[in-house]
Amino acid sequence: PVTPTLDCGSSVHSSLVGVDTRLSSECVALGLQRLSSDIRNTVGNIPMEWYKDFPHIGYNLDGKKIYKPIRNKDELDDFLDKMENPEYWRTVHDKQTGSDVVLSDDQVELVNRLQRGQFGDVNFNECEPMVEFFSSDVMIHPVTNRPADKRSFIPSLTEKEKVSKLVHAIKMGWIKPRRVEDDGRGRYYNLWASEDSSILARHKMHLPAPKIPLPGHHESYNPPPEYLFTDEERALWEQQDPADRKLPFVPRKYSSLRQVPAFSQFIHERFERCLDLYLCPRQRKMRVNVNPEDLIPQLPKPKDLQPFPTTRSLVYRGHSGLVRSISVSPSGQWLASGSDDGSVRFWEVCSSRCMKTVQVGGAVKSVAWNPNPSVCLLAVALDSVVLILSPSLADKQVILSSERLLSAQQEGEEPAEGNGSVVWSEAEGEELNQGLRLKIQHPKAVHQVVWHAKGDYLASVMPDNTSHLQVYIHQLSRRRSQNPFSRNKGLVQCISFHPIRPYFFVATQRSIRIYNLVKQEMTKKLQTNSKWISSMAVHPGGDHVICGSYDCKLSWFDLDLSTKPYKMLRHHKKAVRGVAYHRLYPLFASASDDGSVIVCHGTVYNDLLQNPLIVPVKVLRGHVMTHDLGVLDVTFHPTQPWVFSSGADATICLFT
Amino acid sequence: MSQIQARFFTEDKRYVVDDVPFSIPAASEVQDLSNVINKLLEAKNGNKVDFDFLVRGQFLRTSLSTHMATEGISTVWILTGSYDKTARIWSTEGKPAMTVAGHTDVVKDVAWVKREGLTSLLLTASLDQTVLLWEWNSERNKVKARHCCRGHAGSVDTISVDPTGTKFCSGSWDKMLKIWSAVPTDEQDEIEEPADRPRKKQKTQQLGLTRTPLMTLSGHSEAVSSVLWCDSEEVCSASWDHTIRIWDVDTGGMKTTLTGSKVFNCISYSPLCRRLASGSTDRHIRLWDPRTKDGSLVLLSLTSHTGWVTAVKWAPSHAHQLVSGSLDNLVKLWDTRSCKAPLYDLAAHEDKVFCVDWTESGLMLSGGADNKLYTYRYSAQQAEA
Repeated sequence: PVTPTLDCGSSVHSSLVGVDTRLSSECVALGLQRLSSDIRNTVGNIPMEWYKDFPHIGYNLDGKKIYKPIRNKDELDDFLDKMENPEYWRTVHDKQTGSDVVLSDDQVELVNRLQRGQFGDVNFNECEPMVEFFSSDVMIHPVTNRPADKRSFIPSLTEKEKVSKLVHAIKMGWIKPRRVEDDGRGRYYNLWASEDSSILARHKMHLPAPKIPLPGHHESYNPPPEYLFTDEERALWEQQDPADRKLPFVPRKYSSLRQVPAFSQFIHERFERCLDLYLCPRQRKMRVNVNPEDLIPQLPKPKDLQPFPTTRSLVYRGHSGLVRSISVSPSGQWLASGSDDGSVRFWEVCSSRCMKTVQVGGAVKSVAWNPNPSVCLLAVALDSVVLILSPSLADKQVILSSERLLSAQQEGEEPAEGNGSVVWSEAEGEELNQGLRLKIQHPKAVHQVVWHAKGDYLASVMPDNTSHLQVYIHQLSRRRSQNPFSRNKGLVQCISFHPIRPYFFVATQRSIRIYNLVKQEMTKKLQTNSKWISSMAVHPGGDHVICGSYDCKLSWFDLDLSTKPYKMLRHHKKAVRGVAYHRLYPLFASASDDGSVIVCHGTVYNDLLQNPLIVPVKVLRGHVMTHDLGVLDVTFHPTQPWVFSSGADATICLFT
Repeated sequence: MSQIQARFFTEDKRYVVDDVPFSIPAASEVQDLSNVINKLLEAKNGNKVDFDFLVRGQFLRTSLSTHMATEGISTVWILTGSYDKTARIWSTEGKPAMTVAGHTDVVKDVAWVKREGLTSLLLTASLDQTVLLWEWNSERNKVKARHCCRGHAGSVDTISVDPTGTKFCSGSWDKMLKIWSAVPTDEQDEIEEPADRPRKKQKTQQLGLTRTPLMTLSGHSEAVSSVLWCDSEEVCSASWDHTIRIWDVDTGGMKTTLTGSKVFNCISYSPLCRRLASGSTDRHIRLWDPRTKDGSLVLLSLTSHTGWVTAVKWAPSHAHQLVSGSLDNLVKLWDTRSCKAPLYDLAAHEDKVFCVDWTESGLMLSGGADNKLYTYRYSAQQAEA
């Protein structure tokens, strides 16, 4: 009656055990009864005491009452029966029918088996080998063809709810995260903390071994044909000393990798590598990682350094030859220019009108206004003469005082003839009307003439490599000339007076000498590092000198700092012809043969520790290149930030 | 122009009237003029005569004003000063009327003191450090130097006559401003002679009577380039020291300083809009409010020139128009309401423009380094040179 189903392996056992426990006498009897006689009560599984008071005990299949058997057995009968009847132990009472049933041997055997916990069927082998239908192995033919549930591939809603609850709890602070034990402190310690830093530094000096170069196309078993040796190359390779060879092997070509023979040089190559490692140069290469931008000094923007000249405003036209020299009157109203056409012209600065032209009869090398504002005189150098002009372009008082300065000597004694080489003479006749006053005849061609700041002395240069008579200092009021130098120190290029102190600057080809006129000795010699000095200007403060040279350089000297240039500016493409400082503004300019004037800002600080700030601010172009000459002279306006430049194209430009 | 100075003459002895100028309404016609003559001759002969009139050889047929306009007879004169040491008077048609020569050096500035009537007063300032006050009789075309104003120690670059015509102010390269009387008198001011001046130089030809300044205003640190009267008590001056200063003439003190960043070449003041316009050695024209106390506030910059602005002038009858001249050979007419670009570029000059001005009738004038004086007419929408 109990047949194990094969639904699932585990439930088979449990159902069998269930049957086993339920197997009380009545159930078995029911089954047995059904087998023997088909007296069946149809009341079902109800408590039979419900029929206690009735004569019948239930109904059979036909609906007829099953009557209770006449129970006349009492305890004694039962006892007797127990004693006498040998079948008593296998007799069971069937409550539903109320009759006694005697179990057969098979039935008793079944009951015994069940009570021992064995299967009811004798033939059932409970130790049959298990067939693993449901395992991790994927079968080709699945046991069931049921598609996967949806829940197997969508996130679980319950899990999600649970997680969100946890998250909310963590957010609200109801759940505190687990505290991490801070146990790292005591467990480790810095072994090298007390170590000397030099030893540490030695540890840091680890040098990685040189790397083996990666193989290239040469090493390939099937290199491109251009990598294979030609006959000549192979001959050359064989001739060469092994140390000189570019490659330590001959590249070869194989049709497939299979045919590549064993590498004959393997041991040798390993050995070489070991030698490399052993003898590798143990030297740290200091690589400098510097941004080139950082090396450029921080300079202020030119825009912040206003005012400085920016545009060409006026052009003074009228000369017919190249204008070698210009000079602005101390008031800033007049401009004098000397040209190769043999004339000196006076211009009104603000209107560019030529007010006066004086024909001097010779190419004018240099002009210079007397810097003293109470006199109005111009010194002109041409050929071997220095002329003193009185242009009478000033107040009558000023003209008068300048005339007086020139004529002061006449009332005095005879001119002291210190050295007969310089002859002073007065202008006469027509020249007097033109404004010429004095002529100072020199023995040689005069190159440059400069005034002392007081306006009484002027110095002239006659460049001559062979003589010591290169510089003369003239005193106007006493009409005296003297040569301050007794020895020739080189070809004098230009000279300048110190604006305040009694110093005298003499620039020879490669150096600038500074002489103290009172002590009559040389105080300093500045080395310019340039090949040929062309021009020089002294800062109005007197502590700085700029000097231009024919090798395109402009050097700035700080006299308190050194005899070497503080700064070299190489902005010009061609020879620098003229340099100038502004009297009031922190500006200086340089004129060059490339036709440009470069204006630089040069602030000088009173603080000796602070170096001058030099910033190039503007390149001014306005002159046309003529005969490979550009700008010949440059000078600043005395009060405004304006710069004048004179060029080989016979014009003068004013940049404002 | 409501009244015209006229002089009547005839060859007929009977109708001769006094040879003096009469002031006659400009609108009068032939009949009106006849009535005037009859009125004058009433005493001599009672009967009334109808006269005909010849004006410069032409019969007068319309009103005097229209006749003058059609025949081109002008009463507006233009005064120019030149680097040839002379000043010239021109009619608006460009005919030279008179050459005023007397300076020993370049004439830097000129100004009218009085232009009405037959005798005009005019001023010329020169590089020879003097200002000359001339009297010009337009009818006889005679000019006479009345006064020579001495006192400056540098070239007198600018002069300006005050609105009442009794004083004028001059600015010079010697950084000074001087106020002078513009009224011609017959007395010579005392002048202290420098003791060391040579005697013989004393007797150079002296034009007019010497006059000394009423007042000297000093405060600029550079040359004064332009000067003008804001009203009869205030003088405004521009200088190369990058400042515009406003002075009180009564006290001789400085009232306001406007500081710029560049040299000022010229200023102009318009009483209509009460703004100062300045031209400087950069290429901008700047407008200032002279009443601000703290100064140095530029209301507006007009930028179109490419060279120094050498001259600016406000229109006398228009509150927003000004004309400017520059070293870039251009004269520009501006309207301050369109500050981005000028109304017109007047490109007549072939060289640097040095001065610009307006006439009362709205004619624009400009003079330049090409030795030419141009007049421009600006009517409604068009300008012609």
